[in-house]
Amino acid sequence: MSERLTEQDVRDIATYAHIGLDDQELARMTVDLNNIIATLEPITRFDLDGVEPTFHPIGGLHNVMREDVVEESFTQEQALANAPKQQDGSFLIPAILSGGDQ
Amino acid sequence: MKTLEEVLQDWEAVIGLEVHAELTTLNTKMFCGCKLEFGAEPNTHTCPVCLGLPGALPVPNKAAIESIVLAGLATGCDIEKHSMFYRKNYMYPDMSKNFQTTQGPVAFCMRGGLDLDVDGIGAKERVELAGLDAGESRGNATRTEDGYVAHVGITRIHMEEDAGKMVHIGGGEGRIAGATHSLVDYNRAGTPLIELVTEPELRTPEEARLFMQKLRQIYLAIGISDCSMEEGSLRCDGNISLRRRGETAFGTKTELKNMNSFKNLHDGLAYEICRQAQVLEEGGTIYQETRHWDPSAKRTIVMRVKETADDYRLCPEPDMAPFDLSDEFIENVRARLPELPDQKAKRFAAQFGLSSYDARHLVEHRATSVFFEAAMELAGDAKLAKPLANLVINDVMARMNADEAFDLEASALSPARAVELVKLTASDAISSKQAKEVFAAVIDEDKDPAVIVEERGMKQVSDTGAIEAVVDEIIAAHPDEAARYKEGETKLIGFFVGQCMKQMRGQGNPKMINQILAKKLG
Amino acid sequence: MAYSTDMGVRAIHEGIAAGEFSAREVAEASFAHIAQADEAVHAYLELTEEAAYAAADKVDAAVAAGTFGEMGPLAGVPVAFKDNMNMEGTHTTCSSKMLENYVSPYTATCVSRLIEAGGLPLGKLNMDEFAFGSSTETSAFGPTKNPWDLARVPGGSSGGSAAAAAAGMACITLGSDTGGSIRQPASFCGVVGVKPTYGMVSRYGVVAFGSSLDQVGPFTRSVEDAAYAMDALCGFDPRDCTSQHFTPHFVDALSQGVEGMRVGIVPAFMEDPGLSDEVKAKVNEAARTLRDAGAEIVEVELPHADAAISAYYVLGPCEAFSNLARFDSVRYGYCDGGHKDLNGQYEGSRAAGFGMEAKRRIMLGSYLLSSGVYEKYYYPAQQVRRLITQDYVKAYEQCDVILMPTSPRAAFEFGEIGDPVEMHLSDIYTVSINIAGNGGMSVPCGLGAESGLPIGVQLVSPQFKDVNMFRAAAALEAAYGAAPVAPAFQAGE
Repeated sequence: MSERLTEQDVRDIATYAHIGLDDQELARMTVDLNNIIATLEPITRFDLDGVEPTFHPIGGLHNVMREDVVEESFTQEQALANAPKQQDGSFLIPAILSGGDQ
Repeated sequence: MKTLEEVLQDWEAVIGLEVHAELTTLNTKMFCGCKLEFGAEPNTHTCPVCLGLPGALPVPNKAAIESIVLAGLATGCDIEKHSMFYRKNYMYPDMSKNFQTTQGPVAFCMRGGLDLDVDGIGAKERVELAGLDAGESRGNATRTEDGYVAHVGITRIHMEEDAGKMVHIGGGEGRIAGATHSLVDYNRAGTPLIELVTEPELRTPEEARLFMQKLRQIYLAIGISDCSMEEGSLRCDGNISLRRRGETAFGTKTELKNMNSFKNLHDGLAYEICRQAQVLEEGGTIYQETRHWDPSAKRTIVMRVKETADDYRLCPEPDMAPFDLSDEFIENVRARLPELPDQKAKRFAAQFGLSSYDARHLVEHRATSVFFEAAMELAGDAKLAKPLANLVINDVMARMNADEAFDLEASALSPARAVELVKLTASDAISSKQAKEVFAAVIDEDKDPAVIVEERGMKQVSDTGAIEAVVDEIIAAHPDEAARYKEGETKLIGFFVGQCMKQMRGQGNPKMINQILAKKLG
Repeated sequence: MAYSTDMGVRAIHEGIAAGEFSAREVAEASFAHIAQADEAVHAYLELTEEAAYAAADKVDAAVAAGTFGEMGPLAGVPVAFKDNMNMEGTHTTCSSKMLENYVSPYTATCVSRLIEAGGLPLGKLNMDEFAFGSSTETSAFGPTKNPWDLARVPGGSSGGSAAAAAAGMACITLGSDTGGSIRQPASFCGVVGVKPTYGMVSRYGVVAFGSSLDQVGPFTRSVEDAAYAMDALCGFDPRDCTSQHFTPHFVDALSQGVEGMRVGIVPAFMEDPGLSDEVKAKVNEAARTLRDAGAEIVEVELPHADAAISAYYVLGPCEAFSNLARFDSVRYGYCDGGHKDLNGQYEGSRAAGFGMEAKRRIMLGSYLLSSGVYEKYYYPAQQVRRLITQDYVKAYEQCDVILMPTSPRAAFEFGEIGDPVEMHLSDIYTVSINIAGNGGMSVPCGLGAESGLPIGVQLVSPQFKDVNMFRAAAALEAAYGAAPVAPAFQAGE
């Protein structure tokens, strides 16, 4: 029933998750993920027709909201304190579009 | 490329809009207590939550939920009591958590709609209605005396959060393409945002423009946003496809972005419709892609080609409890609903005996409707309704259109001065031409109309004897023209009116001059 | 009597109140003991001496002013936190290279609650990277060792917290439990470990792994100390909208006994071939002990328990994938600079910043949430979640608390389990409690007959009736005695 992931599938997953993998890691990851996915099978064994999913363990909890009241914010210095790179009070990142294809 | 008018003869345009509005009138962000403020120093309105720091948790802003319920009630939506937040998972640097908190299949507001009154030349874009009589319907449109009414369905309005702002450096004109790096400011991140999605029931750029205009009026009336298209607190994307007239299947659609004014919305859609028609008529293919309207080049350009449907890994937001809105919550919000533009227009028509056209246009802006009503109260005379409506619809709105900075409420034209001006014209004290001059002077010089009339010696001469004397003088001075008139060249009446007015330094009653001239020349 | 690092909450409180020692002396002795013991154990990643002494001075000032009595039972008690809990001005690394240099600009609610109660914050404790693991071997900063046998793992993911409590390196430590990360290491290290009902303790400021599963709880050497900790930790936090209004009375409940309490046993669990004989023997022994103390033993069924581990390995990675997306090298965290474009920086930073198990879970989640796969696993997993929850609700019609193994076996040796699937199975008895949101705790029951290592049994209670499991735990402790500090690390040795 379960189709096994190919290395290309795993590469696509890694691309979406933005995790760089070398060929060796890719091979290992493919084996590991397929092994783990094989253990997920039991959940497909039950008759789940008409069973409402529950996305939260606490059933009766609803409508938790806060009032629209201003609280203190960080200073710019605090906000940027852990920034790997910064410039002009902002977080600095390299080009969003890679050169060449755009 | 064919014109829109030509294209619409053969093709039917199918347009859907996605309208984002920032809830700028709230104090704080969607999920944290950071202050909402436009234009602050970068990253000074941030906290663990909106910076997406590890361990931070969102807590929804009650006032934002009330605002979206209000928006839903004002646009005829069903309010869904049971809904919840979802995460749209994709990495992009302006989203601090790398997921956007939004709603899933069920939004707070579902299944609404607005009626659009289309009149003027824009009404002609709906070519299929051309042969219908008033009251007859085709599709979602019903013909009226001066155009048609189209019902446009609203699929949903859901709650979400805005992203941060980026400045791109190293590319041309701050564009992302060619930029070598970017700066990210999260002040805007987490701003409460409501997204309205229409059914694909709009058929012309004019309808799209009117939809946005009407939605903006409603949002302003209920006070949930400042709706500034320039500053981006009201944003609109369009989905457009074409199909041959008579076909029912949808064509491939493109998504159009950057329509940050009513004009750009109209022009961008009109261009895209014409472009698609040309591609299709030349046997080409429309690709599902995102395009950008460039108002200076007057064309749309490709931003991104979508090869497959986006897979955003949507999942329920586990950090927030689901919603189960009570009747009490919804009714408390409903009690806050003000008179909406449609209701106001109906009331104006009934209360002041105006045409539906006048009433509708008076309520196009909150400022003009408030102004008109205040003026009517001061006037205390139902007969002044029509002239006051004309003043607002013609003169005030022309001024508003010509000068974006013009703020009626703060201007020197008070409702009292408007009434005074209208009374001067109604009593024939000044001519309608003079009234235009006085209107401009009131605003520019901040003086009462009577003072301007006095200062400029603008009394209108309506004395028959005086006018007859001038008319006789002018006819005597131009025997050739008088002779040609008698021989049938009646359009020369304009020449004689002009000469008489000149002689009377613009103060002659034009209606009387016309009558007397016609009598004496004939 | 002078302060000793073996002391519990009550002894410390009484010692300070009686003027036998000061809070500063408690802090000094604690750091001195850590300096020695942690050489071998490696539970601490960072010591927060300044904060500890500042807290101690406050307590001592209160003693001097005669207001110590107003401070509550935790005043002067050494506490420490798992390194996924933010404490302003300290590192919060989650034992990951990704956050090696990250300094918290704010404090988690659970941390501030213990500090406000007068606790002396000693430092931050080692864990499996981002709490992904059951052995603390995935820490980027080296594993923590089991104080009872340094060749063995302390369990995980809150291994540092369990080991610190077991080696007397703090009186109360906090851990987080997503699928067993408090209870399993508590069992391995011979201490009490509590995973409260979901929503009882605020998660604000605790780096999320599985947001609908995570819960914070204490490690202590006695049930009473755990009750003191719970009384300070529980209750609504306006910054965590999944936390609930709840007024805890755990210490008061301890004296209530188990007379008439119905204790459920799940026969299917006891017959599982993966369950070691010595753990099975301990659970049976615990049942007899509770029966002798006046409880009634009943058999209950949890028919969907088989699916719990599968559901857990769907839900956990999906939530983790989403929660860990924020580690992108833009606002904080490891940055693999030098890339010309952002994608390169993203991929390089996440490749180098995350360890293998973190990458596996993130990728698994990314896969499971993709369209088509979502319908096959994620949605059914949430349906199964309802069935599991209903199983518990039904079981609680017959009993007040359920007794079961915490872990199928005692602590294993380093490197003994290399296969991720086998490692995941060590959570088999704990995950269903997270899925259903119940309270669960591991209570030490002495040493195993074969291994000679500590073994804990698990008590599970209905949502928000966590006092039930505390009452049963107190009865077990009355029979076994409070857990000792691991022999090699007892004071005065």
